[in-house]
Amino acid sequence: MSDFFQLLVAGLSQGAIYALIAMGFAAIFSVSEIINLAQGEFAAMAGLVALSATGAGLPLPMAMMVALLTVGIVAVVMQRLTIAPVKKMTTLTSIILTLGVSTALKALMLLIYGPEARGLPALPGSNFVVAGVSIRAQDLWILGITLVVASAVVFFYDRTVLGKALRACAEQPVAARLVGISPRKATTLAFLIAGLLGAVAGLLASPISLTQWDSGLTLGLKGFVAATLGGLVSIRAAVFGGLLLGVLEALVAGYIDSGFRDAVAFVVLIVVLVARPGGVFNRQAQARV
Amino acid sequence: MKKRSDVVGVVLLLLVLLVGPLLVPVSVAGAAVYAVIYAVAAIGLSLLMGLAGQVSLGHAAFFAVGAYTQAILVTRYEVNGVLAAVAAVAMAMIVGLLVGLPLLRLRGHYLALATLGLGIIVTVVAIETPFLGATSGIFGIQKPDFGGRVYDSPDEYLWLLAPVIVLGIILARNLVDSRIGRALGAVNDSEVAAETLGVDTFRLRLKVFVLSAGYAGLAGVFFAHWLAVVNPNAANFALSVEFLLIAVLGGLGTVWGAVVGGFAVEFLDEGLRDFIPVIVPGASGEVQLIGFGVILTLVMIFLPGGLHQAFRAVTGLRAPRSGSVPSAPASEGRIDPDQGKIPTNLTSQGSPESVGEGALLVREGRPAPGTTLLEVQGLTKRYGGVVAVDDVDFDVAAGEIMALIGPNGAGKTTCFNMISGVTAPSGGSVVLSGQRIDGRKPHVFARHRATRTFQNLQVFSSSSVLGNVMVGRHLRSRVGLVRSMLGFAARTEERAIVAAARQMIGMVGLAEDADRPAADLPFGRQRLMEVARALATEPDLLLLDEPMAGLSGAERRELAGLLRRLRSGGMAIVLVEHDVEAVLALADRVAVLDDGALIALGQPDEIRTDPAVLAAYLGVEDDDPEAAAAVRDLAAEDAEGAR
Repeated sequence: MSDFFQLLVAGLSQGAIYALIAMGFAAIFSVSEIINLAQGEFAAMAGLVALSATGAGLPLPMAMMVALLTVGIVAVVMQRLTIAPVKKMTTLTSIILTLGVSTALKALMLLIYGPEARGLPALPGSNFVVAGVSIRAQDLWILGITLVVASAVVFFYDRTVLGKALRACAEQPVAARLVGISPRKATTLAFLIAGLLGAVAGLLASPISLTQWDSGLTLGLKGFVAATLGGLVSIRAAVFGGLLLGVLEALVAGYIDSGFRDAVAFVVLIVVLVARPGGVFNRQAQARV
Repeated sequence: MKKRSDVVGVVLLLLVLLVGPLLVPVSVAGAAVYAVIYAVAAIGLSLLMGLAGQVSLGHAAFFAVGAYTQAILVTRYEVNGVLAAVAAVAMAMIVGLLVGLPLLRLRGHYLALATLGLGIIVTVVAIETPFLGATSGIFGIQKPDFGGRVYDSPDEYLWLLAPVIVLGIILARNLVDSRIGRALGAVNDSEVAAETLGVDTFRLRLKVFVLSAGYAGLAGVFFAHWLAVVNPNAANFALSVEFLLIAVLGGLGTVWGAVVGGFAVEFLDEGLRDFIPVIVPGASGEVQLIGFGVILTLVMIFLPGGLHQAFRAVTGLRAPRSGSVPSAPASEGRIDPDQGKIPTNLTSQGSPESVGEGALLVREGRPAPGTTLLEVQGLTKRYGGVVAVDDVDFDVAAGEIMALIGPNGAGKTTCFNMISGVTAPSGGSVVLSGQRIDGRKPHVFARHRATRTFQNLQVFSSSSVLGNVMVGRHLRSRVGLVRSMLGFAARTEERAIVAAARQMIGMVGLAEDADRPAADLPFGRQRLMEVARALATEPDLLLLDEPMAGLSGAERRELAGLLRRLRSGGMAIVLVEHDVEAVLALADRVAVLDDGALIALGQPDEIRTDPAVLAAYLGVEDDDPEAAAAVRDLAAEDAEGAR
């Protein structure tokens, strides 16, 4: 039984990382209907920037701030330079466009930081054992910070004027414009939020799963699957989806074969979509005529 | 192949592939081998994106499936190379079918992300499976030999590839220009309109996706033989991006673009791999990706049509939608007297010249006038707490014109949407020619010989008027994907489609506009075009959503005359219209909706004096007890009458 709880802890910790990425997908998609394939790159970039900052002698908290700032700027610049100029944004266009950006970012990281996988030092605290289950301090940090960040994001959308305005933009673009919220500004803000969420994920994950120029590929894909479990628009459901996916992966890796860990997300995606075709995505199902 | 430009292209390509290798250094010919192999894969991807409007981000997975299947069959089981290739392509297509089946029903991003995942899965499976050689892959694949010749140098391999890619191009070009290509093009412009004309979007998309997987599998076969080894890198993300870049750079949906893109990207790839380590010392790995990513982004922003678009701009050729034909507002409302002529073979009786007389579009086997065609019972639509349509009942018989009127927001269009399958009802049933169709997709509605037009126009804007109306012939023609690709079988049918479409266009008075881009037409004429497009399906039941809006007085009279003649031919017509006088003059029966409920149903004379209807239109308050009572009584009475 302690095996199970051990896997559960590892799964929740990994799932929290997916949840952060998934929230980023939902933040952008709910405002602009864009799937941002560079979401995973935000995480990888944060890890690599922080690594090079600590390498240059900065203390860890400072290095993390630098990474957050850098990724936030990159996300906003990405939106301004590549998303804003496109007049007719179709699903196809947004996917190819953000794939282009994500590919360029990956390669840029490869050129700057090289191909090696490295990990940030873990956040302070000592590991301990409860009832035969060993818990790493980093796991607690991950779960705690994810909880705080997720609550803050939910609070932002549900309770603040700005957050409500972002929602309004997604649901009623014309009405939002009439009351003075520009969809363009809203999209920029959504990218900023997504960038920061991705960066937090990358910084938290780095000590455990290491960071590499192409870590963003699988992280992004799994974050997307987690967001899909939640219908792609709901922040709360994205968190739930991330945790669920993390736990499923840990169980498959623990009880079946660790080699198949990366297959879980894909199978979950297919199963969810087959079980509820169109229903996962109720808001989208109605074609406007 | 129908176009001269295709013939020129094939001749040029054959020249390059057959003579070129003799003129260039071996290293260039070597790169050209990869360019051609990747172009074959990209042709499929270009069809998928251009025709089906879907994208695969893991197309290398299908490439790898083809390559591994070929490698295993020829090295382990010594299967003949050609037979193995057939099996390898089939295998890639089966994997495509399994992935596409659940995902293509959904919006574009699911297929994109799932295929991205598939690329990762195929890599994982290849690495984890000893049978597939794990990380080292499968070795010792022989170079192909035919007729005593071994194709083992770049030059020879290009000669082997030449007929393959040319065949691939011809098949793909035929598909783009076919009935299937036309239907998918229409889906990309307006999915809902294409479906109400009988296009089964899901099936066609699935077929194109499976086909594109087949192209990738074929490319994988040639890749395996050329490299002599297949390892998990064949399903690499970088390779998927390269395929995507080839298709995007060439121009989505343009087969030739993929070929040109193949060469451009392969030489870019080689160049970047050599150049980047020079400027960034110590750079290693997939460094060419930086160029891929940047170019992909720039093309999408500045040149969404790819090199094909640039080529057209330079040579002065214009795509049909670019507005080379000036719009002609002056001609609006002018009706050419000859255009009222009826296509003689579609007329049963009466003189073609006398507009408003003879029956039109009579069909063998259509239910006799007076037979009930459409039965709507208890039709209800709720959006959250709002009831948009509330328990509506009515029948429509063959050979009658029924009008659906009511104030704005009464639920008329929602009714149409539920009947035609555009939205699923929350309750009630829709029976068409004896079959329940509520909740089914619009193409099912169309298959039961019914179709509709739209209040907010759904024009296939990348096509001409003729092209729009030709889509209406989708169900009245049958050449499928395979015969479309083979080409020759489709010719005769294409001619018949064009002829029928032109007749329909003439019938609504748009003959002079037939070859103009549909997007250039004034609003009212686009409406008439939609009517022609709907008529092209030769429906038994036609739903028209505000067909008169935007028409001039003369055009309205023409249209009313046309509708009367279609009625004489036995067609049932239901129209939603705001012009109440026009409706009362035209319709046999009128149904009045108010606030989602059917408040009156009867002949125009009854409706004209119906107190409930007057109340709805004049806005009498519910708290006026007398009026309210009258409304209730009449509604109940009419509901009875409707059954």
